[in-house]
Amino acid sequence: MNTSENTKAFFTETGAISSFAARFFKQVYKPRFELNEFIRQCYVIGYQSLPLIGLTGFIMGLVLTIQLRPSLTEYGVEAQLPSMISVAVFRELGPVITALIFAGKIGSSIGAELGSMRVTEQIDAMEVSGTNPFKYLVVTRVLATTLMLPILVLLADAIALYGSYLGVNIRGNTSFSLFYTQVTGILEFGDVLPAFIKTFFFGFAIGVIGCYKGYHSRKGTEGVGRSANMAVVISSVTVFVIDLVAVQVTDILNLN
Amino acid sequence: MLPEPIPVVKAKATAEPVIAIHELAKSFGDNQVLAHFDLVLNQGENLVVLGKSGSGKSVLIKCIIRLLEPDSGSIQVLGENIVDLNEEALDRLRVKIGFLFQGNALYDSMTVRQNLEFPLRRHWMNVSQGEVDGLVMEALDNVGLEETLDMMPEELSGGMRKRIALARTLILKPDIILYDEPTTGLDPITGKEISELMIEVQHKYKTSSLIISHDMKCIRRTADRIIVLLDGRCYAEGTYAELERSSDPQVKNFFE
Amino acid sequence: MANKKVDTTKLGVFMIAGVGFLVMLLYVIGKNQNLFGKTFAFRAQFENVHGLMPGNNVRFAGIDAGSVKTVEVLDDTIIEVTLLVKTKMKKFIHRNAKISIATDGLIGNMVVNIEPSKLPAPEVEEGDVLQGVKGLNTDEMLKVLNQTNNDIASIATEIKHTVMRINKSKALWEVLEDESLPANVRQSLQRLKAATVSINHILADVSVVVNDVRDGKGTIGKLVRDSSIALAATEAVDKIKNIGVAADSLSSRINGFVAGITSDVNEGKGTIHTLLKDETMAQQLRNGVGDIEHDARALKEVMEALKQSFLFRGYFRRQEKQKRERSGKGGKY
Repeated sequence: MNTSENTKAFFTETGAISSFAARFFKQVYKPRFELNEFIRQCYVIGYQSLPLIGLTGFIMGLVLTIQLRPSLTEYGVEAQLPSMISVAVFRELGPVITALIFAGKIGSSIGAELGSMRVTEQIDAMEVSGTNPFKYLVVTRVLATTLMLPILVLLADAIALYGSYLGVNIRGNTSFSLFYTQVTGILEFGDVLPAFIKTFFFGFAIGVIGCYKGYHSRKGTEGVGRSANMAVVISSVTVFVIDLVAVQVTDILNLN
Repeated sequence: MLPEPIPVVKAKATAEPVIAIHELAKSFGDNQVLAHFDLVLNQGENLVVLGKSGSGKSVLIKCIIRLLEPDSGSIQVLGENIVDLNEEALDRLRVKIGFLFQGNALYDSMTVRQNLEFPLRRHWMNVSQGEVDGLVMEALDNVGLEETLDMMPEELSGGMRKRIALARTLILKPDIILYDEPTTGLDPITGKEISELMIEVQHKYKTSSLIISHDMKCIRRTADRIIVLLDGRCYAEGTYAELERSSDPQVKNFFE
Repeated sequence: MANKKVDTTKLGVFMIAGVGFLVMLLYVIGKNQNLFGKTFAFRAQFENVHGLMPGNNVRFAGIDAGSVKTVEVLDDTIIEVTLLVKTKMKKFIHRNAKISIATDGLIGNMVVNIEPSKLPAPEVEEGDVLQGVKGLNTDEMLKVLNQTNNDIASIATEIKHTVMRINKSKALWEVLEDESLPANVRQSLQRLKAATVSINHILADVSVVVNDVRDGKGTIGKLVRDSSIALAATEAVDKIKNIGVAADSLSSRINGFVAGITSDVNEGKGTIHTLLKDETMAQQLRNGVGDIEHDARALKEVMEALKQSFLFRGYFRRQEKQKRERSGKGGKY
């Protein structure tokens, strides 16, 4: 493919994903509501991702603390370590790292699941029985990712701070209550709320892209693999793009 | 002897057509799959569409259920032009049409019971659990597989899966059943069983069937009338016996 | 799609944990910013707010008592700051309280300090306008400290000179022969010793201050508020100056003595042996001189360390630059 074809393919894809998202908004308000499937997806997408997200969050907090300490010691502000970690985790690292792990786990699994359903004509089967597979498969999953990721991010933040607490105490001795005071003392609404709001967008993007890639999977095993793979790649990039937009919006709105 | 093109038989005055296709055309890129295709399926009739693989048989029935959008022409199903229907009306009409996929398209993450309940729950929302159970058992009884109720599709053999797929198709009590290569990939004995089941079902529920096949044994057992699809058009038409005796080399090919 | 059994309880715990953490977080932040709990507002006017912003802490006698609500410019010399303070602190804040703006630690945020005054005054009321006090800032603090250091250094040098002169003076030894002099000399030495002790105290005070600043314990704010230390520092400078004067007069007096003694010795009076045999006396003299030297060195070290500390690096660099500039312009200052 040459450049112009690539560019055209890029815009076509973007447009297709956008109209897929628009279809989601059209369908989401209409009954019937697939409540059971939604709850099941929440369980699979949210609860069952917690061990992985928790582990990465914990390591993130611990490693960040250990890595930051030498620089802070050099400047003689070692005591600021918990405050610094707190701001870093809440504002940026918690949401973005969790979203990336989430994109890797959930984006690919949605992409592969819907992809194989498409390839084995299960989606067609739902369609011909007049059961609106979009509502059953896509709306529930996108809603679940949109609502579950923020919760996962919050829990990852909490676990990361616990990791950080242990990290602070590897060298040095900080009581939990002092750590807590330092961590919460520096936070402002501007640190927590914009970061919290953007996680909904992360979750939505990951869900929509995963579903889109799976729903429009090409035939064959390779098609399914490709769907899963592209779902992860595109949603990871989208997470960063949304992050960029979010930081500019919060800056313009003076929420920082 | 000159080959006698068999004239297209229009709907008999006594039987009301359930499907009437007129001037249907469908192409993929430069590949004209169907052109000026006409077909009439009468009430209570078993019509077989015979053709080589790649001749557009699958495209034809996917156009009837509107999994594919035809380029031009009209498709009257139960008195409504399916091409013009909006999404909701289409879903309502689709309930009256059963579709048996070549690959069965069983929902592989659900048990047999959930597979059968799936369309039921979404169309007849106000039936009690007892009635649903009754309908599920009736459908399984029709195909003789009551014992598989709580099994997963992957635990079943090919023939059993085909039966379950048929049961799932039957559970909504459709007026028309579209069979996409019902015996392909099955051993001859199972193929025979499936063919017999198809006839049994037709007698029991008084359905009209459109069968896509190139399995001559199956066709001989099930067909009331046969249409030979060639070059995107209705090439020949007649009963099995009539076409078997045809002197046309293209038609003869199928019967050798 | 229900082959995986959904444990709704687990999902519920998961959801509540996440949402609960969010609520707790928002509550804690809100509490820190005094969004909850009863508060009252009063105003304080300043000439310069040093970059104070809404949301900065307000401290009453060092305790977090509220936050800054707004900062408004009234005219070119008055900036009015509205303070939101917990109602339960209201009864402790009186109209004559000193309100100043300072830095929380050396690199921290700005804070508003409310210092209670010892004198009686009516309780502050909602909407009252109080006059702000100009607070000391880090630069001024350091200027004072440096001045103190210079003073002490020069005094130490003088004392050292004096003592060396005493040591090297042949005349003195001759004087010491004189039996009639010990009483006078002893008196002088006692004075010198007293001066040394006094210097020791001052140096100790200054060292504590300097050490704290260097440790970055955020004591600049404390220093600013703790008027006793500030006073001590000022006092120290005064005392040291006094000692300088005393030392000067002492040396001139000793010179006088020496002159007198020389003439006495020339006349063949007295004996030095008495004095020389007085071991404790000599030891004391040596100790006194040693103490002064040691303290001067310690102070120098403290100041060097202060210069090394990155927080003050800029300040000292600026000082040196100024020094260079001034000497460059011709002439010493």
